[in-house]
Amino acid sequence: MRARRQAWRPATVAAAVLLGSCQEELPTSVRDDLVPAGVVVEVTLPFEDFASNVRVYGGFGRASDRGVGFVAHEFGGGADETGGALPLLEARTLVRFGAYPSSASVRDTTGTLRTDSAITFVSGRIVAAFDTAGSVAAGPVEVVAREVTEAWDASATWGHAVDTLGGRVPWSEAGGGPGREVVRGVWDPAEGDTLFLPVDSARLREWSDTAAGVHGIRLETTTPGARLDLRSVSLSLLALPSINPDTMPDLRVSRTVGTFIFDPPAPPPAPGEARVGGVPAWRSVLDLRLPPELAGPPALCAAVPCPVRFDDSHVSYAALQLVSRVAAPAFAPSDTLGVEVRSVLAPDYLPKSPLGPSLTGLAGARFPPEWFAAPAGEVAEIPITGLVRDLRRPGADASASRAIALLSPFEPLSLEYLSFEASDPARAPRLRLVLVFSQSGR
Amino acid sequence: MPVRRFAPAWLAAALVAGQALPGAAGAQSLLGVRGLGVAGGTTDARTTALGNLGIGLAGTEVSAADPTAGKDLGVPTISLTMQPVWGEFELDDERGEVTATRFPLIGVVFPVLRARGALTAAISGRLDQRWSAEVPRDVDLGEGGVQVSDRFEADGGVSVVRAGWVQRIGGRWAAGVSVGTYLGRLSQTFERSLDTLALGGGAQRFVQGGEWRYGGTVVAFGASAAPHRLVHVAGAVEWSGTLTASPKEGTGGGPRAYSIPLRVSAGATGRLTPRLAFNASAAFQDWSAAAGFAPGTTTTRKLSYGAGVEATLAQGERRSVPLRAGYRRLAQPFRFGDADPVETAWSLGLGLNLVETAGQRAGWIDVGVERGRRASAPLVEKYWRATVSLGISQF
Repeated sequence: MRARRQAWRPATVAAAVLLGSCQEELPTSVRDDLVPAGVVVEVTLPFEDFASNVRVYGGFGRASDRGVGFVAHEFGGGADETGGALPLLEARTLVRFGAYPSSASVRDTTGTLRTDSAITFVSGRIVAAFDTAGSVAAGPVEVVAREVTEAWDASATWGHAVDTLGGRVPWSEAGGGPGREVVRGVWDPAEGDTLFLPVDSARLREWSDTAAGVHGIRLETTTPGARLDLRSVSLSLLALPSINPDTMPDLRVSRTVGTFIFDPPAPPPAPGEARVGGVPAWRSVLDLRLPPELAGPPALCAAVPCPVRFDDSHVSYAALQLVSRVAAPAFAPSDTLGVEVRSVLAPDYLPKSPLGPSLTGLAGARFPPEWFAAPAGEVAEIPITGLVRDLRRPGADASASRAIALLSPFEPLSLEYLSFEASDPARAPRLRLVLVFSQSGR
Repeated sequence: MPVRRFAPAWLAAALVAGQALPGAAGAQSLLGVRGLGVAGGTTDARTTALGNLGIGLAGTEVSAADPTAGKDLGVPTISLTMQPVWGEFELDDERGEVTATRFPLIGVVFPVLRARGALTAAISGRLDQRWSAEVPRDVDLGEGGVQVSDRFEADGGVSVVRAGWVQRIGGRWAAGVSVGTYLGRLSQTFERSLDTLALGGGAQRFVQGGEWRYGGTVVAFGASAAPHRLVHVAGAVEWSGTLTASPKEGTGGGPRAYSIPLRVSAGATGRLTPRLAFNASAAFQDWSAAAGFAPGTTTTRKLSYGAGVEATLAQGERRSVPLRAGYRRLAQPFRFGDADPVETAWSLGLGLNLVETAGQRAGWIDVGVERGRRASAPLVEKYWRATVSLGISQF
């Protein structure tokens, strides 16, 4: 027993120390001949080999879902595919502000921070922030703020102050009513992204009076050929406190409702066009059905015995290739826009089918605006590797089709939309596959 | 009535054994590229430090190579061995490092005093196939080249689990037999990663591999003798049936079979002074005609040998501290290239015999350190290897 007692203590400690020192680093060579090369083949499937039935659904979301939006004047135009003149775009943004602050935190003459509920608003300014990249203007743009004198809600459109299934109330004058000019200013994109439009104290008092008949403001532009993307509109109030008149706090009033109205509406999709985006948003849906095996191209059959079956493990990369089309100039993208792909979970219920999670990440695949200006024809590639691998996973029904939807990452994301070829045999969507096989063809 | 406690020694043994299961053992060498891999030492720290091949070493308690080991034990004994390795390799202009930890030997001896024999059991590493290679390449994809990274990784090895009986015959002789089975697995993985940026994002890796399970029978016979009170000799013959590698479900191809040649080994220990002993051992195994391997894979070298000395630095009433030194030269079975591989190692070791009665240890810690070199042109590997063994009796 003594021997055991003497032996096990150091033995146990030593074992614990040794076990704790277990680190592994494999001998790793970079010799080429120790690693089988494998076979990588790129295969591009024509539309009829992997997809069918492209259809476009519109009407998702409304302008107010985006909050503030656009102002435009005589923008776009051009000619349609038949040579007919396209109307110029007019767009205005409507904003209604919340209640003014009733108090402010102000430091008194002793430096103590106190709440002052006896403040007086001496002036204010409308603060409009523009997306400099998404706005189209040849130079400085004149922006006009007008009071909206007719009641409206978030469903407002160019022709109607209220435009819901329950009822429609037209503007007395299309485009948000006659309006009463408050102020006008010039925004120069070269100088910054924010425009300040001063508002006097009398106007502020009037706006705070719900009986005065002012229903927010409307921003519009008088500069022809401009389309400005508004990121935010707020009202800033300069207050005079009672406890320390030397200090004038700047108080921000947020909007409670914001939307934009525009005319004309975007033209409906042309035959053979797949469309994504816009307001309300369009989605394009197509049915995927991958071939069970591949008998080409020659590069594939030169590398592995054809016909070759491929499963998910062979698919290293898969991407939907779409050819861009020219969008109507008034609605053509002016900044990079994204497209995401989601599975259609209940195709029988389209266009109201629920969609699966995004297969392309939060921002989707993004494409530059120039691809959608004449002459267009650029190949836009949307990676869908995970989806294609799912379709070829062992146990998956290889003959089943899977409907996928192409849509904006957020709906509605922009007045602008992306347009792609859908049926032209030479320009229809294609599926690009990068397949990897071992040297044995497995 | 005495209560038998769950001794911490058992806990340590269980922990180590859990990591020593087939496949966990790893010598990790690029010699594992061909054949069945690199043969790892299956000896404990004392044997390793003495340059011995596991046969003919007087006083050996636990051995995977000597069926008569443990014949002199009077109490149950367990021995655990652990072997961290730090190495580097040179392959043409390439250099790399290796770090590994293996458990080459765990053995148990249960003496049956009435029968003048003992039951033995051991699990030991045998061959190791852990290595990898990673190569960047360019592949042509339509619009231009895309960079890919190809990686091949082999992971696994062959171990032996065996049980045996050693019988003392008279006062000077002993004979032993052990029967065991090969255990282990090999997984091979090829992985190709494409440059995601070049493809526009979302590229996935291509991974393909297979896994095989090893099996087979191994039987060893041995005898030892003490023709003189200062001399101990032993010899053993190990016969292996066909080593099979059976593919797991989902792995292509059929089972593979390899013949493992007969291994004959012998060794001796001579006591030069009361505090100094000399040992030498050799093993013969002819891999040249082994079936199942691609031509040119196996070595034509057949002989391995080693020798060493053990000096008692300090000798107390029940404790002693031996110092050991040795050298051995091993014929590795499989080539890297065209040249027969050779492994040589100089070793130094120290023991701490915690409890010793009449020359028989009942609790010990042995440490051995080797500086070794393996070469099979163009591959050269050098390593520092520590071997630590714990022995506990009467647990």
